[in-house]
Amino acid sequence: MAVAVAHAGAVDHRDHIHPEPEGFIAKYIFSIDAKVIGVQYMVAGLLFFIISGLLAEVVRTQLLTPTGAIVSNDTYNAVYSLHGSGMVWMTIIPLVTGGFGNYVMPLQIGARDVAFPWLNLVAFWMFPVAGVILFSSFLIGAPDAGWTEYPPISVQGPPGTSLWCVAIFLIGISSTLTGINFLVTILKMRAPGMTFTRMPLFVWAQLATAMLNMVATTALAGALLALFLERQFNVPFYDPGRGGSPLLWQHMFWFYSHPAVYIMILPAFGIVSEIFPTFTRKPIFGYKMIAFSSIAIALLGFMVWAHHMFTSGMAPWLQLPFMILTMVIAVPTGIKIFSWMATLWGGKIEFHPAMLFAIGFLVTFSFGGITGVFLSAVPVDLHEHGTYFVVAHIHYVLFGGSMFGIFAGLYYWWPKITGRLMSYKLGVIHFWVTFVSFNVTFLPMHWLGLEGMPRRVAQYRPEFQFWNDVASVGSFFLAASTLILLYNMAQSLLHGKKSPPNPWGARTLEWTISSPPPYYNYKTIPAVLKNPYNFGEPLPYLGIEPQVDEDGKAGVDPIPAHA
Amino acid sequence: MAQYTAPQKQGLGPGFWPVTIGLTILNVIMSFGIANLDIDKYLPEAAAPAGDIDWLFKFLSVVGNAIFVYVVGYIVYFCIVWRRKASDGPDAIGIQIHDNPKLELWWTIIPTLLMIVIAVFSVRIWISLQNTLGDVLTMESIGHQFKYEFRYPRLKQSVYDDMHIPVGTPITLHVTSADVIHSFWVPEVRIKADMVPGLVQTLRFTPEKIGTYRIICTEFCGKEHGNMVATLHIDSQQDFGHWIAAQFKAQGQGSGPINLASGQSAAGQALFGQKCSTCHSVGEFSQKIVGPGLGHLLNDPDHPNLVTGEKPSPEDIAHVLVNGYQGPDNSQGKSGPSIGVMPNRQANALSNADIANLDAYLVSLSQKS
Repeated sequence: MAVAVAHAGAVDHRDHIHPEPEGFIAKYIFSIDAKVIGVQYMVAGLLFFIISGLLAEVVRTQLLTPTGAIVSNDTYNAVYSLHGSGMVWMTIIPLVTGGFGNYVMPLQIGARDVAFPWLNLVAFWMFPVAGVILFSSFLIGAPDAGWTEYPPISVQGPPGTSLWCVAIFLIGISSTLTGINFLVTILKMRAPGMTFTRMPLFVWAQLATAMLNMVATTALAGALLALFLERQFNVPFYDPGRGGSPLLWQHMFWFYSHPAVYIMILPAFGIVSEIFPTFTRKPIFGYKMIAFSSIAIALLGFMVWAHHMFTSGMAPWLQLPFMILTMVIAVPTGIKIFSWMATLWGGKIEFHPAMLFAIGFLVTFSFGGITGVFLSAVPVDLHEHGTYFVVAHIHYVLFGGSMFGIFAGLYYWWPKITGRLMSYKLGVIHFWVTFVSFNVTFLPMHWLGLEGMPRRVAQYRPEFQFWNDVASVGSFFLAASTLILLYNMAQSLLHGKKSPPNPWGARTLEWTISSPPPYYNYKTIPAVLKNPYNFGEPLPYLGIEPQVDEDGKAGVDPIPAHA
Repeated sequence: MAQYTAPQKQGLGPGFWPVTIGLTILNVIMSFGIANLDIDKYLPEAAAPAGDIDWLFKFLSVVGNAIFVYVVGYIVYFCIVWRRKASDGPDAIGIQIHDNPKLELWWTIIPTLLMIVIAVFSVRIWISLQNTLGDVLTMESIGHQFKYEFRYPRLKQSVYDDMHIPVGTPITLHVTSADVIHSFWVPEVRIKADMVPGLVQTLRFTPEKIGTYRIICTEFCGKEHGNMVATLHIDSQQDFGHWIAAQFKAQGQGSGPINLASGQSAAGQALFGQKCSTCHSVGEFSQKIVGPGLGHLLNDPDHPNLVTGEKPSPEDIAHVLVNGYQGPDNSQGKSGPSIGVMPNRQANALSNADIANLDAYLVSLSQKS
């Protein structure tokens, strides 16, 4: 600690202060500032969330009646395929890594930017381009084989399937670049004194995610390239008649897409790990176990991909290691859930919208985790695979997990990002409408699947209508709940109360500077003395600017002289 | 300067033990409810692994339900008891406790043990799914866009859309696909396998309940994927016998008299190459491959009779072709040692015309020498 104190205020990271850009385009369009890029990710991600969400409403409207006559079968297949692809690759992954990662992670480690700002710019712009390519596939015949696009059906699929390959390939490169960038940033650019065990848990989660992004995405890129070549140039990677194998795709796809589940959920773990201490006024319970279990989950995540393929056709004995390793993941996941619960114990819990979404996350993600154990047991999976049970499970972990985490993070860091507060009351209403309608939408899908309704069908048997209608009505309310959020955001931007630097009394570094932060983040890089979560003690930082008054004006520093 | 205050020795908070007891009672009641749930009533258990799989499902439900009830129960309880109250000042903080190694050890060990138990039960049932089931009906199903094809060992042509199997007979079903990936799922049997082109997968089950059930495709296979269904008929042994007999008749197998005079020796020779030459040579009786050589059936002095003991005549040759053969070698006029088994016409998929053609060819062989 003595070393850190000696460094305090004397550390000069000026090589990482780039001059403040001038002009609208350099400031807001082609900015190299991680915070601006983070906001760009969030805006684009939210836009794709709305588009993909509307596609989901088309699906639920079609399924109101067993004969589903709203859209043709071909359109229906395209709609749910782009709903899934749009939500996974254009919404959740960019929001949790590019969005929150870029905005919050450098602030939390006391850095002025990420390690490679220009690489960051390139990685970001691949994302909206990929999104536009993906959704423009509607113009020439959108992909129709689901977000998993199993060959051989995807090889024969509509022309837009090739655009799908290009779009996902691009977003994959973007993810890989961001992964490398974040990994180097976290390993090399932490403020002095911020040892690994003093890192905020969100940074731990981003570290684990960056490793996954860097390693796993390459497998997807290979699979996509092969699919593209087979479609456009007739190279038979997946054609069994000419020596290819359809299972080759499935292995490579899931070798990426299972870790991708953790790419989507680990940052959400990180977000709620920040929110629980702040709104309970307590240190996070079991800091080391939460940090360690993120890394354990990331490593185990590479060894379970074939549990998506128990019915696909592999050597039967191979099912056993994949089943058992999958069950092993339940242990570190359980440790996290129990640690968050223990953080609630003995707290002074404040039910801020961010906290409500974090608690909601705990409930729905636990449920999704438990149905995950059902799916991991091979004999039970043989019944449930490919049914609405799987649809229910994926939405409990990706909506009830990742999206709830994103909403929580949005409420939590909104004042830091915009400098304005959102309506507390509207936030609470948003949470309850979302939480209830989410469960009304996705809970009945478990029964539907168990009773025999397969996924990816535009028509179904009449006896399944009741629960389908319940799910559809729930989904309409779920869509409406998003309008409440959008209204709240717009109100806040236009008329919101100005936020002080630290409206929640949180203790990680980003709350020590003004809201929104100046473009260089920290005038002097602070030194870190301790783990951030000890409430009731002075902040464990040296060299931070003095705290400011309520109107948020103070704490805005002059631009460093050299810039 | 940073002063560390050791965490105060705390109680568990008001109402912790009553809530724990309440949640435990709730769990016991719900576990009994789940254990006594008759899944068969909602979705019949129509074939052998269904009962085992439902048992595992119920076991997972009991464990999963218990965990979920405790998790949600404690979350709600903590949120009520440890909420920030109006009386709390703005600087009020929670209990500053960082960890509790003993507690963390327990919530690592208990889930680990639970997972081991779940894994052991899952593996046991998984093993029972891999067992071959003794005396079986082995058949095939092939997925097409957008229908199911079924092949029976004794039927020359495939049947579509309706799969008949006899109750109580273990079924070994090989599935594959002719175009894209499909899936073969019968919810009432609780098992499925993807039908992958270029790959054969095997499902094993023993039908137990007579009735009709749905065969459903669960892998997206194109525009009409949602309408790709077939019907599984689990018939009584008697009904299955009638059905298969009707199929033989419909396909011209075994119906009506065989007109031996119409046999074409050339066609018979071609058919012999396809169906018979794996086991039979056209040399002397003693030139065995699996069965005896058939070149001198009508005039071999060493073997005056067919293996059935019958006199060698075109009619008797046809008789063997129709019924197959199993048992001792009676060709010397007395009961000799067993020379193995020849499948009957259904297994060899021989129509009336095929038998006539083969017969003509075999007779012509004897006449040549």
